[in-house]
This record gives sequence, C-alpha cells and structure tokens, in this order.
Amino acid sequence: MRGWLWLLLVLTLGGLFWWGMQRNPKELPSVLAKERRPAPDFTLPLLPPYREAWGETFRLADHLGKKPIVLNFWASWCYPACYEEAPVLEASWRRHKEEVLFVGVNTQDKEPEALRFVSQFGLTFPQVYDPRGRVGVDYGMYGVPETFFVDREGRVVARHAGALDEATLERYLAEVLP
Amino acid sequence: MRWFLFLLALSLPALAQEGPPPDLPPEVFQIARTLRCPVCQGESAAESNSGVAVEMRRIIAEMLKEGKTKEEIQAFFVDRYGEWILYEPPRRGTTLWVWLLPLLGLLLLGLGLFAYFRPKPLPKELLEEAERRLKEPPR
Repeated sequence: MRGWLWLLLVLTLGGLFWWGMQRNPKELPSVLAKERRPAPDFTLPLLPPYREAWGETFRLADHLGKKPIVLNFWASWCYPACYEEAPVLEASWRRHKEEVLFVGVNTQDKEPEALRFVSQFGLTFPQVYDPRGRVGVDYGMYGVPETFFVDREGRVVARHAGALDEATLERYLAEVLP
Repeated sequence: MRWFLFLLALSLPALAQEGPPPDLPPEVFQIARTLRCPVCQGESAAESNSGVAVEMRRIIAEMLKEGKTKEEIQAFFVDRYGEWILYEPPRRGTTLWVWLLPLLGLLLLGLGLFAYFRPKPLPKELLEEAERRLKEPPR
C-alpha cells in the first residue's frame, strides 16, 4: 500500500514537471487577442513625411470598422528584429494596400532616429509617433516589435510578438481578410 | 553593541535603496513594486529602467493625481495585461494553489519527520527478555 502511494506521488510530481517543461516560457498572453476585444482607440501625431497624405494627427477610430488594420509597434533602437521585419511589412503593404490598412506606431523613440529608420526602408504606410509609449500599454504590449491584427469589425484577433516573416504575416492576414 | 553595529552596517545599503528617486512620489513606487515589468520579467515596474516600466510609473503617478486607489490602478494594468502583470498571484481560483501548496508541502514534511523520528516501542521479544533478566538474581 505504502509502496503504491510513493509511486503515485513520484508519478504525479514527474507528470507535473514534464507538463511544466512542455510549456513555452516565452509565450506571453494577450488579453486583447484572447477576448477579441475592440482595438483601443488613440490619437497620435504622424511623423512629418506622412502628414501630407494623412493629416497632422491620426485617429484610429476614424479607420476602425472599414478595413482590417495591421498595427505594428516598432522603434529604431530595436535591432535587429525591427530592421528584419520592416521590408517584409512594406512589401506586404504594397501588395494589400487596397484591402488592409497598415499603421506603424513608433514607440519610445527619438524623432530624428525614427525618421532615419523610415527613410532607410522607404516605408510608405502611415507612421505615428508615440515617444512615451502610452498606446503600447493600452494594447498590453511587452516590447517592440509587436504587431496586432484588427479585423473589419474593429476587434483585435491576433497579436504577434517579435519580428514577422513573410509567411507568418500572410497567415495572419488571411485571418483578418474576408 | 558590536553586534548591533555590525547589523546596522549590513542594513545600511538596504536602507539607502529604499529612498525613491526624487521625481515621483513614493506611493508610485509602492504600487509599481506590485506590478511586473513586461519586458524584463524578473523585475518589478519599480526597479526596471526600461521604457515600458518608466511609462508605467508615469501612468501610476497620473492616476494617483486623479485620485485613483491602488486597487483601481492595479485593475487598470490587469485589464490590459491580464493577471500575469501582478507580482503576487491572486489568492483565489487556480493561483490559490501557488499559495497553498508550499504550506501543504511543509505539513507533509513535518508529518513525515514526525513519523520517522517518533520513538518506536521495542520489539516484544526484547522486552520480555529484559523483563526476564531483571528478575534473575544477580550472579
């Protein structure tokens, strides 16, 4: 009897340990994406090169509920991840600009460095400037780069932490595109 | 006296760390200490100097100025990051086990130690033998 109890205890602890080892410690929960919450609204100034086409400030609510939106948080100091995904995002935006709106949120950065980054990659989708990173907190952001996918109804359906590659981005886009 | 001085010398660096930086009120750090820094997960939002943690402290300071309570401020961050952001998991639901299991473990260990070290009665034959020898007249 006692021997069986010991075996059970060892098996339980072993099972718990095995289960714990299977979990990904880097997996970060996103409350927004899990509960499909409406994307938090924000109004932020656009970086100067985008003012002619998009105006002085960008209000997300003006664009919600029309097209799916890809919201990409980045910073010029985020090397190499942000540098890896910038060309991928730009290429995808050029392919899908009729169906999806891409918005870049420059986070906790200095304006001259942000401007150098956008000109280095020739980013043509609108870029807003959030030096404090206040919008990131509203989205429950952990660290740049992070990308949120908002569907046509204005709900956050997915969040990707880390650099995006082309295949992953296309997979997320298929989720929000009709 | 010497011991007192020794302990004082040991505790001085800890005391020095307690003082908050001058730009934000100490209440801000008190609340930030209960929140996890999202980028540097081993640190609290009070200790970290990462951009997010600095912004979190600014938000806490602003909310305190608006008259929000500690609970309301914590709820604000839990709403955005989930309960993960709290340094101490809530004492209910699944995370209650995090609090209970160590106590349960200690209890089991105590029981085990007690059972192991409890004075055991001597075997019957031995007792009988002792009894018999006692009754024997000394040689």
